[in-house]
Order: sequence, then structure tokens, then C-alpha cells
Amino acid sequence: MDQAIKISGLQKSYGSTFVLADFELSVPEGNIFGLIGPNGAGKSTLIGILTGLLDYDEGEIIINGHELNEQNELLIKQEVASVLQPPLLFEHFTSHDFLHYICDIYEVDPKTRQQKMDSLLEYLGLTEFEHAKINKLSAGSRKKLSFCAAIISDPKVLFLDEPFESIDVISIGRMKTILNHLQQKGVTIIITSHILEIVENLCDDIAILHNQKIIAYLDSETRKELQKDATLSEIFESYVEIEQPKNDILNWL
Amino acid sequence: MLRKLIYLNWSAFLNRLTSFQTFLVVGYIIFLLILFSNLLGSALVIVLFDQNPIVTNQLPWLTAEIHQLITLIFANVLWILHFSFTSTRLLNMEENRKLLAYGYPVKKLSWYLNLMGFFHPLNLIYNFTWLVFLLMQIENLMYIPVVITVVLLNYAVIYSIKHRFLKIVEKRFKIIVFSALFLIFGTIQAIAIISRRFEQIIAHYLPSIDIINSYLFYTPGGLLQYTATGTYNLPTASAIYGFSALLIFLIFRDHFFKTREGLQKPVRERKIFKRNKRWYYLKKWLGLNAGKFYHYVLSHSYNRLQLLTIALIPAVYIPLLLQLGNSYYSALLIPTMLAAIPVALLAMGMANMFGYENKEFLLHKQFPVSFEKQLKERFLGIIVVPLLIFYLITTAEIIYLPQLGSVVEIYVANTFFFVCFTLVFLWASFYYYKKVNYSSFSFKHPIISQKVTFMMMFLIFGLGYAVFAPLGEYQIYRLWVMGGLIIAIGIYLWRDMDLLVRAFNNHILDKVWADSGH
Repeated sequence: MDQAIKISGLQKSYGSTFVLADFELSVPEGNIFGLIGPNGAGKSTLIGILTGLLDYDEGEIIINGHELNEQNELLIKQEVASVLQPPLLFEHFTSHDFLHYICDIYEVDPKTRQQKMDSLLEYLGLTEFEHAKINKLSAGSRKKLSFCAAIISDPKVLFLDEPFESIDVISIGRMKTILNHLQQKGVTIIITSHILEIVENLCDDIAILHNQKIIAYLDSETRKELQKDATLSEIFESYVEIEQPKNDILNWL
Repeated sequence: MLRKLIYLNWSAFLNRLTSFQTFLVVGYIIFLLILFSNLLGSALVIVLFDQNPIVTNQLPWLTAEIHQLITLIFANVLWILHFSFTSTRLLNMEENRKLLAYGYPVKKLSWYLNLMGFFHPLNLIYNFTWLVFLLMQIENLMYIPVVITVVLLNYAVIYSIKHRFLKIVEKRFKIIVFSALFLIFGTIQAIAIISRRFEQIIAHYLPSIDIINSYLFYTPGGLLQYTATGTYNLPTASAIYGFSALLIFLIFRDHFFKTREGLQKPVRERKIFKRNKRWYYLKKWLGLNAGKFYHYVLSHSYNRLQLLTIALIPAVYIPLLLQLGNSYYSALLIPTMLAAIPVALLAMGMANMFGYENKEFLLHKQFPVSFEKQLKERFLGIIVVPLLIFYLITTAEIIYLPQLGSVVEIYVANTFFFVCFTLVFLWASFYYYKKVNYSSFSFKHPIISQKVTFMMMFLIFGLGYAVFAPLGEYQIYRLWVMGGLIIAIGIYLWRDMDLLVRAFNNHILDKVWADSGH
């Protein structure tokens, strides 16, 4: 299977602190890929680099067969979309105007864009907020709107950073349905999340990011084997060795 | 506990200040002192000027009725100013509300917040001016407690109206401010215009002045004035005193409950459901990037108010200066004011360039359109609109105010003024981007604050003096110098158009990423 994303020797630091060091990762095309790790592991930084927001110090990144560099930057951006945490939106626009802006930028066919917008907003329960200013929306609605904006441009690769945070159960179910549809169309989806139950059910391959690199890559076969005896949460804990606090540290409670 | 609360609020305020902002706060304090001395000085002059023998000799028309009319007009202007600028959002309710979670008693907190609101410098200035203005007019000591109580009642009523009907007041805020400015500037202009032939004009209206005064006594300023100058005996004074004291108690009690309710039940902001056509027109005329920028600028009510001020001040002062004829000062001030209009618009634009949307630039950077191209479009949009205004004003000056100079003189001087400030704003922004601040003035509030406006006035008039002061036969040399500098600055601006784009890309984006909580 072709690789949608191939990262080798990636290094990223903030000042003297390394966030990613000698980082290697390959994500197969059409995969729903889960990236999990403790807080501060560098998941969001990695998504920031892959979406072209952050520079990196060293390494090579190939997305959909194009090396991420100045020359290919716009070509890659045309094929990639993302939902970040917190979501990036145009605060003084209405949901309707914001989605139109995105359609203008990605040159979505004017004949189909309205139908696409209406169906997405309706499916995710946002129709009543179509003409509401974005800065008045609740956290969940903002996340769902960002999700709509990401998929309306028909991306080939989708990066989702904590996509289910603040979202109600019904909408999570609908978002999962949309993601499964996209996967069937061949879209590669990279998800980071702390809700391991969702990752467990939704993703094909899963990688654990810790101490600046991938410490475990669990493809679907390996996962099946490991999950006979343990949940993903238990597998995660077995890989991520975090120093345990002393038992008597909270004695004062 | 009150001491700790004041300390908390002050330290929360001071800790957010950069050294530059601290400097601006000092400027703001100076501004408040000037405001205070102006108000107090005006009150003193208006009350006392009819007692000066020189004035009464030179102004024979200054009868007791006319003096009363002037006093009543001042009282009402002061009241409108007081009403418009009494701030009801002095304290950070969001921050103070958090104290409840740490066990701070809600009753004490509500009471202290009310007290702290009362002691804001602006409130003190207005209330003290009222006291001085009214106490200077009393005839015996019996009036003192009544005046003090009525001034307090006036403050309580204004504060209560603004707090309880905040939304209505905010909606009408522009009308109120506009009316106050109109009244003040209009009064100044009217006095200036009629002062030359005051006697003829006043002679016509003299028989009606008593009637006007009797009506003015029923206005808010008039009622306050009456408590100091009206004739009433001790039982009436006691009744006014008692009734006012009771009202103050009830209003403050009501306000205490409202504050307590506000602390415990934060108001959820109303969702706005309406289509906005402005964005479509701006997108059509200026494109996606510059259009979005202006859409954001116009969404901010403070900017709309600034636009109003930019238009209103010259509209009032220029006719006034034209009335003065061809003097040295009008030759200097009129072109400076006109040249300052596009400069003020440019300052607004540059201050907002990245400020409002700093987090949104992360999304812009993800778009499959060169980031540099997006930002250049925006920068050009910021320059183009003030430039258009600049051309309109310059053309109007050449046609309607030929006394200001020849076509070449006006054109060169205005162009020089504009390019100089473009350069100043460009460098100021670059300097702040290197220090990782989002906008040229403030990264928290990307609007030109009153303090900065105050400082910019000095700069504008300083350069105005250098550029527009009549030089007689040496004028030609100044034109050559300005022409040379225009070409040099123009070439520099053209070549370094992407200076800010590079600076933003290299210095700010990482900071925006970190601040956005990613």
C-alpha cells in the first residue's frame, strides 16, 4: 500500500527544548490513523508542522508523494485540511460567510457548494446557527463548524487534532459516519485524541508518541493480537512509562 | 479585605502592562489632569466672570439673565458629559467573580465593587467639578448638605440608569456622544461666530431669555443648579435632603443587589442571527483579504466612533478657523487638520493590521494561497483607502481653499505628510513585531487607544508646524527638500513593501501558535 505520509529524521525544538527528535512515521493511504500520547508529547506540534503552520529544524516530510518544501507548499495545502484544537475560525463572520470564504479559497464549484454546505450544517445540527456570529457559538458548535470547513474542500489528507472534544454523543456518531465515508473515498485521516475508546473503535492503525518519538506502532493486526488481553488504555499505560508518584504524597487529604 | 481587593484589581491591571503601555498610562494620567483642570477652570470662569469689573465694562450685554443662561447651558453640557463618560464597566467582573470560588463573601464583594467603581478618577473628577460649581453659587451654609446630597443622587441616578439599561445606552451611545460633541463644539462655534456682533443678535432674543431660562431649570443640569441657587427655607432644604438621601440609599441598595446578581449569574451573551451584506460588498470591492480586514475594522464599534471623531473635529474646527480669517494660525492649523485625516485612517489601519485576527492567521497560513500574497493584499488595502481620502481632501483644498497655497505647495506638503506617517507606522510596527507584539500599538486591544491618540496629536501638530508654517520667500527651499524626501521615502516603501509580512512570518507566528493554546 502507498504511503500518504512519510516522515523521516524530523527534528523540532522550541529554543533548547526538543519536542520531536529523530522522528519517523509512515501512514498508509486511506487509513484512519490514531496518534495518541500524554499531554505535551508533541502531537499538536506534529500536526502544526504537517499543516504548514510551523517550521521544523531538520528532516524530510512527504505528503501524498510531494516533499513538503517551499516549492510544493501550495500544492500540498490544496490537498490537505485540518481541524485544530482550539479550532481556527473567523470569529467575526457568520458560519455561512465563513464556509463561503473557505469555498472561495479552495475554489469549490459554486454550483455545488450551497448544497454541500446545507447538507453538512443540517447533518451536524448547525442549521440554526448558520447566520450566527462565530464568536457567539458554543465550544462544540465551533468544533463542528471547523470540521465542516475542513471537509467541504474535498481534501485527500485530513488532520484532526482532538476532534471530539466538547462534542455531544450524537454529533460524535455523525462525525464518525462522515469519516468512514471519507475513508471509503480514499481520504487519509490522522486523528489525535485523549478519548481512547473512540480511537480504539474508529482507527485502523495507532501510534503512541512519547519522549519526542513514536514508541509503538500498532497496525490493525498487532492491535487485534494485543487487545485480546488488554484495552487500548492498558496497552497505552504499558508503553508510556511515567514515574509513579509516592503513595503517601496525598496523605494530607 | 477591601485593601486586598484593591491590590488584586490593581496588580491584575498593572501586570498586563508592557513598559510602553506603562508610559501610556502616565500619558493618560496627564490627560485626566488636563481634563480635570479644564472642567474646573470652566466652572470657575463661568460662575465668577460676571463679577469681574473689567468683564462687565467690556461686555455691557452681560445682564443677570444672560449670565444665568450661560450658567444653565454649562450645567447641562456638564451633565451630558457626565452621563456619557461615567463608566459602568470599571472593574473586571470575570476576574472578580473567580474570588467567589475561593470563598470571598458575595455580599462584601458586591459592596466593595460598588465602592471601587465610585472612586474611579473620571467619576471623582465629574463629581468634584459639580461640587465646586454648585458650592460657589450658594448663599448660605444651609445649602451645603443639600448640594452634596443632590450631587451624590445625580451620580447614583446616572450610574443606575447606565447599569440597568446598559444595552439601551450602548445602542444609543453614539447618538449620546455625538449629541454631546455637537453641543460642545456647536456652542464654541456659535459663540465664536456671534461674538463679533453679539449685541445685535442678543438684542433680538433678549425678551425671550427669561422664558428660555425658565425651561432650562427643568433640565437635569438646571435642577442641580436650582439646589444651589433656588430660594427655599430650612424645612424645604431638610425635605430635599431627606428625600435625596433616601433615594440614594434605595438606588445603591438596588445596585448592590444587581451587582450581587451579576456576580452570581453571569449574563449569557445574546446570539446574533442576521445576514450581513457589508462583507459581500467589501469582498467585491477590495477582495478576500483586504475586504476581510475592513469587515473586521468596521465590526468594532470603537473604530466606528473613531471614524466619527476623525470626521467631526475638522468639520467643527475648520469653519471656526475660517471665521478667523487669514491669520498665521489658520494657515497652519487648517492644512494640518486636513492632512491629519488620511493619516488617522492609516493609523487605524496599521494598528489593526494583524491585531484583530492574529489567531486567524494560522488558518490563513493553511490556505493554498501564498501567505505573502494574502498579507500584501491586506497591506495594500490599508494604504489604498486612506490614499483615496487623501486625494479627495487635497483636491477639495486646491478647489475650495486656494488661500492655503498653490496647487504644487498643497500637493507636495500633503504627500510629504502622508508618506512620513506611513514610514513612521511601518517602522513602529516592524519594531513591535521584532519584540513579538502583534500590532504596532497594542496586541491586546488592536485599536488606537485614547492615550495613543493623544500622543499622535503631538506628532501630527509637530510635523504640521514643520510642513505648513508659512515661510515666505524660503517656501521654495522647503518644497525642494520635501520633494526629495518624498521620492526617497516612496522608493523605500515600494522596495520594502513586504517588510511587515516577513517580520510577521518570522517573529509573530510562533507566538500566535503558542498563545492560541495549541
